[in-house]
Amino acid sequence: MEPDPAGSVGTAPQPAADGRRAEVRLPGETSMWVFVLGDMVIFAMYFLVYMVERAREPAVFLASQQQLNQNIGLLDTLVLLASSWFVARSVLAARAGSRELAIRLTLAGGACGVLFIGLKVYEWWSEIHHGHTVATNMFFTFYFVLTGVHLIHVVLGLIILTIVLRDLRRPVPYRVSLVESGATFWHMVDLLWIVIFALIYVMR
Amino acid sequence: MKLTPTRRLTLVWAILSAITVVASILGRTPHVDGRLVASTTVTVCILVIALVKCRLVIRTFMEVRSAPTWLRRSTDLGLVAFWGTVLVLYLA
Repeated sequence: MEPDPAGSVGTAPQPAADGRRAEVRLPGETSMWVFVLGDMVIFAMYFLVYMVERAREPAVFLASQQQLNQNIGLLDTLVLLASSWFVARSVLAARAGSRELAIRLTLAGGACGVLFIGLKVYEWWSEIHHGHTVATNMFFTFYFVLTGVHLIHVVLGLIILTIVLRDLRRPVPYRVSLVESGATFWHMVDLLWIVIFALIYVMR
Repeated sequence: MKLTPTRRLTLVWAILSAITVVASILGRTPHVDGRLVASTTVTVCILVIALVKCRLVIRTFMEVRSAPTWLRRSTDLGLVAFWGTVLVLYLA
Protein backbone atom coordinates (compact mmCIF):
# COMPACT_ATOMS: atom_id res chain seq x y z
CA MET A 1 0.00 0.00 0.00
CA GLU A 2 3.04 2.27 0.09
CA PRO A 3 3.81 4.75 -2.69
CA ASP A 4 6.54 3.76 -5.11
CA PRO A 5 9.68 5.75 -4.29
CA ALA A 6 10.98 5.06 -7.78
CA GLY A 7 7.90 6.71 -9.22
CA SER A 8 8.32 9.83 -7.19
CA VAL A 9 10.43 12.73 -8.37
CA GLY A 10 11.38 13.51 -4.80
CA THR A 11 10.13 13.48 -1.27
CA ALA A 12 7.38 15.75 -0.03
CA PRO A 13 8.52 19.27 0.86
CA GLN A 14 9.62 19.33 4.47
CA PRO A 15 10.67 22.29 6.61
CA ALA A 16 14.42 22.57 6.99
CA ALA A 17 16.06 22.37 10.38
CA ASP A 18 15.81 26.12 10.84
CA GLY A 19 12.09 25.89 10.11
CA ARG A 20 12.24 28.77 7.66
CA ARG A 21 12.51 27.21 4.22
CA ALA A 22 10.88 24.11 2.72
CA GLU A 23 12.82 21.76 0.47
CA VAL A 24 13.01 23.01 -3.11
CA ARG A 25 11.52 20.54 -5.61
CA LEU A 26 9.42 20.40 -8.75
CA PRO A 27 6.16 18.54 -8.03
CA GLY A 28 5.31 15.95 -10.68
CA GLU A 29 7.05 15.32 -13.96
CA THR A 30 8.98 17.98 -15.86
CA SER A 31 7.19 17.07 -19.11
CA MET A 32 3.83 17.96 -17.53
CA TRP A 33 5.16 21.36 -16.48
CA VAL A 34 6.43 22.03 -20.01
CA PHE A 35 2.98 21.17 -21.37
CA VAL A 36 1.12 23.20 -18.72
CA LEU A 37 3.32 26.30 -19.08
CA GLY A 38 3.06 26.11 -22.89
CA ASP A 39 -0.72 25.76 -22.71
CA MET A 40 -0.96 28.74 -20.37
CA VAL A 41 1.05 30.89 -22.78
CA ILE A 42 -1.28 29.91 -25.66
CA PHE A 43 -4.36 30.73 -23.55
CA ALA A 44 -2.78 34.03 -22.51
CA MET A 45 -2.56 34.93 -26.20
CA TYR A 46 -6.27 34.08 -26.66
CA PHE A 47 -7.18 36.27 -23.67
CA LEU A 48 -5.12 39.20 -24.93
CA VAL A 49 -6.74 38.97 -28.37
CA TYR A 50 -10.10 39.00 -26.55
CA MET A 51 -9.05 42.20 -24.73
CA VAL A 52 -8.00 43.82 -28.02
CA GLU A 53 -11.40 43.02 -29.55
CA ARG A 54 -13.17 44.17 -26.38
CA ALA A 55 -11.39 47.54 -26.59
CA ARG A 56 -12.81 48.01 -30.11
CA GLU A 57 -16.45 47.53 -29.03
CA PRO A 58 -16.63 48.02 -25.25
CA ALA A 59 -20.35 48.86 -25.24
CA VAL A 60 -21.28 45.77 -27.27
CA PHE A 61 -19.14 43.52 -25.07
CA LEU A 62 -20.59 44.97 -21.86
CA ALA A 63 -24.19 44.69 -23.08
CA SER A 64 -23.58 41.12 -24.26
CA GLN A 65 -21.88 40.23 -20.98
CA GLN A 66 -25.05 41.24 -19.17
CA GLN A 67 -26.89 38.51 -21.08
CA LEU A 68 -24.77 35.83 -19.38
CA ASN A 69 -26.07 34.02 -16.33
CA GLN A 70 -23.81 35.50 -13.62
CA ASN A 71 -25.00 33.02 -11.00
CA ILE A 72 -23.93 30.06 -13.14
CA GLY A 73 -20.58 31.75 -13.80
CA LEU A 74 -20.07 32.15 -10.05
CA LEU A 75 -21.14 28.55 -9.40
CA ASP A 76 -18.80 27.29 -12.16
CA THR A 77 -15.89 29.02 -10.42
CA LEU A 78 -16.76 27.78 -6.92
CA VAL A 79 -17.15 24.20 -8.21
CA LEU A 80 -13.74 24.27 -9.91
CA LEU A 81 -12.09 25.81 -6.83
CA ALA A 82 -13.56 23.01 -4.71
CA SER A 83 -12.29 20.44 -7.22
CA SER A 84 -8.78 21.89 -6.98
CA TRP A 85 -8.98 21.77 -3.20
CA PHE A 86 -9.90 18.06 -3.30
CA VAL A 87 -7.19 17.23 -5.83
CA ALA A 88 -4.49 19.18 -3.94
CA ARG A 89 -5.41 17.25 -0.78
CA SER A 90 -5.24 13.97 -2.71
CA VAL A 91 -1.58 14.74 -3.48
CA LEU A 92 -0.86 15.16 0.25
CA ALA A 93 -2.71 11.91 1.00
CA ALA A 94 -0.79 10.04 -1.73
CA ARG A 95 2.54 11.27 -0.37
CA ALA A 96 1.53 10.18 3.13
CA GLY A 97 0.74 6.69 1.82
CA SER A 98 -3.02 7.08 2.46
CA ARG A 99 -4.13 5.35 -0.72
CA GLU A 100 -7.86 5.14 0.13
CA LEU A 101 -8.05 8.81 1.12
CA ALA A 102 -6.18 9.81 -2.06
CA ILE A 103 -8.68 7.79 -4.12
CA ARG A 104 -11.69 9.37 -2.40
CA LEU A 105 -10.32 12.90 -2.79
CA THR A 106 -9.46 12.34 -6.47
CA LEU A 107 -12.98 11.01 -7.03
CA ALA A 108 -14.43 14.09 -5.31
CA GLY A 109 -12.32 16.36 -7.51
CA GLY A 110 -13.45 14.49 -10.61
CA ALA A 111 -17.08 14.65 -9.52
CA CYS A 112 -16.77 18.44 -9.33
CA GLY A 113 -15.37 18.37 -12.87
CA VAL A 114 -18.39 16.39 -14.08
CA LEU A 115 -20.69 18.84 -12.28
CA PHE A 116 -18.87 21.71 -14.03
CA ILE A 117 -19.52 20.09 -17.42
CA GLY A 118 -23.21 19.73 -16.52
CA LEU A 119 -23.41 23.40 -15.53
CA LYS A 120 -21.65 24.46 -18.72
CA VAL A 121 -23.95 22.41 -20.94
CA TYR A 122 -26.97 23.92 -19.18
CA GLU A 123 -25.49 27.42 -19.56
CA TRP A 124 -24.78 26.96 -23.27
CA TRP A 125 -28.24 25.49 -23.86
CA SER A 126 -29.75 28.48 -22.03
CA GLU A 127 -27.75 31.00 -24.08
CA ILE A 128 -28.63 29.32 -27.38
CA HIS A 129 -32.26 29.11 -26.26
CA HIS A 130 -32.19 32.90 -25.80
CA GLY A 131 -30.86 33.37 -29.33
CA HIS A 132 -27.19 33.87 -28.45
CA THR A 133 -24.92 31.83 -30.69
CA VAL A 134 -21.33 31.91 -31.84
CA ALA A 135 -22.47 34.12 -34.76
CA THR A 136 -24.38 36.70 -32.66
CA ASN A 137 -21.45 39.08 -32.23
CA MET A 138 -17.73 39.06 -31.39
CA PHE A 139 -18.38 38.76 -27.65
CA PHE A 140 -20.42 35.59 -28.04
CA THR A 141 -17.89 34.21 -30.53
CA PHE A 142 -15.21 34.56 -27.85
CA TYR A 143 -17.57 33.33 -25.14
CA PHE A 144 -18.34 30.06 -26.93
CA VAL A 145 -14.80 29.49 -28.25
CA LEU A 146 -12.97 30.24 -24.99
CA THR A 147 -15.39 28.32 -22.76
CA GLY A 148 -15.46 25.53 -25.37
CA VAL A 149 -11.68 25.16 -25.53
CA HIS A 150 -11.63 25.29 -21.73
CA LEU A 151 -14.29 22.59 -21.58
CA ILE A 152 -12.08 20.35 -23.75
CA HIS A 153 -9.37 20.84 -21.12
CA VAL A 154 -11.83 19.85 -18.37
CA VAL A 155 -12.59 16.62 -20.27
CA LEU A 156 -8.85 16.00 -20.78
CA GLY A 157 -8.32 16.68 -17.06
CA LEU A 158 -10.97 14.11 -16.18
CA ILE A 159 -9.23 11.55 -18.42
CA ILE A 160 -5.94 12.30 -16.64
CA LEU A 161 -7.61 11.98 -13.21
CA THR A 162 -9.01 8.61 -14.36
CA ILE A 163 -5.46 7.49 -15.21
CA VAL A 164 -4.35 8.66 -11.74
CA LEU A 165 -7.21 6.72 -10.14
CA ARG A 166 -6.28 3.55 -12.04
CA ASP A 167 -2.73 3.89 -10.77
CA LEU A 168 -3.88 4.48 -7.19
CA ARG A 169 -6.07 1.35 -7.40
CA ARG A 170 -3.34 -0.95 -8.70
CA PRO A 171 -2.38 -3.71 -6.25
CA VAL A 172 1.23 -2.53 -6.49
CA PRO A 173 2.89 0.65 -5.21
CA TYR A 174 1.44 3.72 -6.91
CA ARG A 175 3.45 6.56 -8.45
CA VAL A 176 3.33 9.77 -6.42
CA SER A 177 4.78 11.71 -9.37
CA LEU A 178 1.80 10.64 -11.50
CA VAL A 179 -0.63 11.91 -8.85
CA GLU A 180 1.29 15.20 -8.69
CA SER A 181 1.35 15.57 -12.48
CA GLY A 182 -2.39 14.92 -12.73
CA ALA A 183 -2.99 17.53 -10.04
CA THR A 184 -0.78 20.08 -11.85
CA PHE A 185 -2.87 19.73 -15.01
CA TRP A 186 -6.13 19.94 -13.06
CA HIS A 187 -5.05 23.13 -11.29
CA MET A 188 -4.19 24.66 -14.66
CA VAL A 189 -7.79 24.00 -15.75
CA ASP A 190 -8.94 25.86 -12.61
CA LEU A 191 -6.47 28.67 -13.28
CA LEU A 192 -7.72 29.20 -16.85
CA TRP A 193 -11.30 29.39 -15.63
CA ILE A 194 -10.35 32.04 -13.06
CA VAL A 195 -9.16 34.23 -15.96
CA ILE A 196 -12.27 33.46 -18.06
CA PHE A 197 -14.52 34.34 -15.12
CA ALA A 198 -12.75 37.68 -14.61
CA LEU A 199 -12.55 38.74 -18.26
CA ILE A 200 -15.80 37.39 -19.70
CA TYR A 201 -18.21 37.40 -16.76
CA VAL A 202 -17.38 40.16 -14.29
CA MET A 203 -15.02 42.83 -15.61
CA ARG A 204 -16.71 46.09 -16.53
CA MET B 1 1.06 29.44 14.51
CA LYS B 2 2.42 27.22 11.75
CA LEU B 3 -0.17 25.87 9.37
CA THR B 4 -0.16 22.20 8.41
CA PRO B 5 -0.19 21.61 4.62
CA THR B 6 -3.83 20.46 4.74
CA ARG B 7 -4.93 23.47 6.77
CA ARG B 8 -3.04 25.76 4.41
CA LEU B 9 -4.91 24.27 1.44
CA THR B 10 -8.24 24.68 3.21
CA LEU B 11 -7.48 28.27 4.19
CA VAL B 12 -6.45 29.15 0.63
CA TRP B 13 -9.55 27.45 -0.79
CA ALA B 14 -11.75 29.45 1.63
CA ILE B 15 -10.02 32.71 0.65
CA LEU B 16 -10.32 31.90 -3.07
CA SER B 17 -14.03 31.14 -2.71
CA ALA B 18 -14.69 34.27 -0.64
CA ILE B 19 -12.93 36.67 -3.02
CA THR B 20 -14.66 35.00 -5.96
CA VAL B 21 -18.00 35.94 -4.40
CA VAL B 22 -16.71 39.49 -3.82
CA ALA B 23 -15.66 39.75 -7.49
CA SER B 24 -19.05 38.46 -8.60
CA ILE B 25 -20.85 41.06 -6.47
CA LEU B 26 -18.56 43.83 -7.76
CA GLY B 27 -19.27 42.73 -11.33
CA ARG B 28 -23.01 43.28 -10.87
CA THR B 29 -22.87 46.82 -9.47
CA PRO B 30 -23.38 49.68 -10.09
CA HIS B 31 -26.30 49.57 -12.49
CA VAL B 32 -27.96 52.40 -14.38
CA ASP B 33 -31.59 51.66 -15.22
CA GLY B 34 -30.92 47.96 -14.73
CA ARG B 35 -28.00 47.95 -17.16
CA LEU B 36 -24.34 47.35 -16.43
CA VAL B 37 -22.13 50.38 -16.89
CA ALA B 38 -18.40 50.45 -17.43
CA SER B 39 -16.42 51.17 -14.29
CA THR B 40 -12.65 51.49 -14.16
CA THR B 41 -12.64 51.23 -10.37
CA VAL B 42 -14.69 48.02 -10.37
CA THR B 43 -12.64 46.53 -13.20
CA VAL B 44 -9.30 47.30 -11.55
CA CYS B 45 -10.56 45.67 -8.32
CA ILE B 46 -11.72 42.61 -10.28
CA LEU B 47 -8.41 42.31 -12.14
CA VAL B 48 -6.44 42.60 -8.88
CA ILE B 49 -8.64 39.92 -7.29
CA ALA B 50 -8.07 37.67 -10.32
CA LEU B 51 -4.30 38.21 -10.09
CA VAL B 52 -4.37 37.28 -6.39
CA LYS B 53 -6.48 34.18 -7.14
CA CYS B 54 -4.11 33.05 -9.90
CA ARG B 55 -1.09 33.48 -7.65
CA LEU B 56 -2.73 31.59 -4.77
CA VAL B 57 -3.58 28.68 -7.08
CA ILE B 58 -0.09 28.62 -8.58
CA ARG B 59 1.81 29.02 -5.31
CA THR B 60 -0.31 26.80 -3.07
CA PHE B 61 -2.35 24.31 -5.11
CA MET B 62 0.36 23.83 -7.77
CA GLU B 63 3.02 23.95 -5.02
CA VAL B 64 5.18 26.48 -6.85
CA ARG B 65 6.03 28.12 -3.50
CA SER B 66 8.42 25.20 -2.88
CA ALA B 67 9.46 24.80 -6.53
CA PRO B 68 12.83 25.81 -8.02
CA THR B 69 13.58 29.51 -8.33
CA TRP B 70 13.21 29.56 -12.13
CA LEU B 71 9.59 28.41 -11.86
CA ARG B 72 8.70 30.74 -8.99
CA ARG B 73 10.16 33.75 -10.77
CA SER B 74 8.83 32.91 -14.24
CA THR B 75 5.28 32.36 -12.97
CA ASP B 76 5.34 35.63 -11.02
CA LEU B 77 6.78 37.47 -14.00
CA GLY B 78 4.20 35.87 -16.31
CA LEU B 79 1.33 36.85 -14.00
CA VAL B 80 2.44 40.48 -13.74
CA ALA B 81 3.07 40.71 -17.50
CA PHE B 82 -0.29 39.14 -18.38
CA TRP B 83 -2.51 41.08 -15.96
CA GLY B 84 -0.53 44.28 -16.62
CA THR B 85 -1.18 43.90 -20.36
CA VAL B 86 -4.86 43.18 -19.73
CA LEU B 87 -5.10 46.38 -17.69
CA VAL B 88 -3.29 48.45 -20.34
CA LEU B 89 -5.59 47.09 -23.08
CA TYR B 90 -8.64 47.88 -20.93
CA LEU B 91 -7.51 51.44 -20.22
CA ALA B 92 -6.30 52.12 -23.80
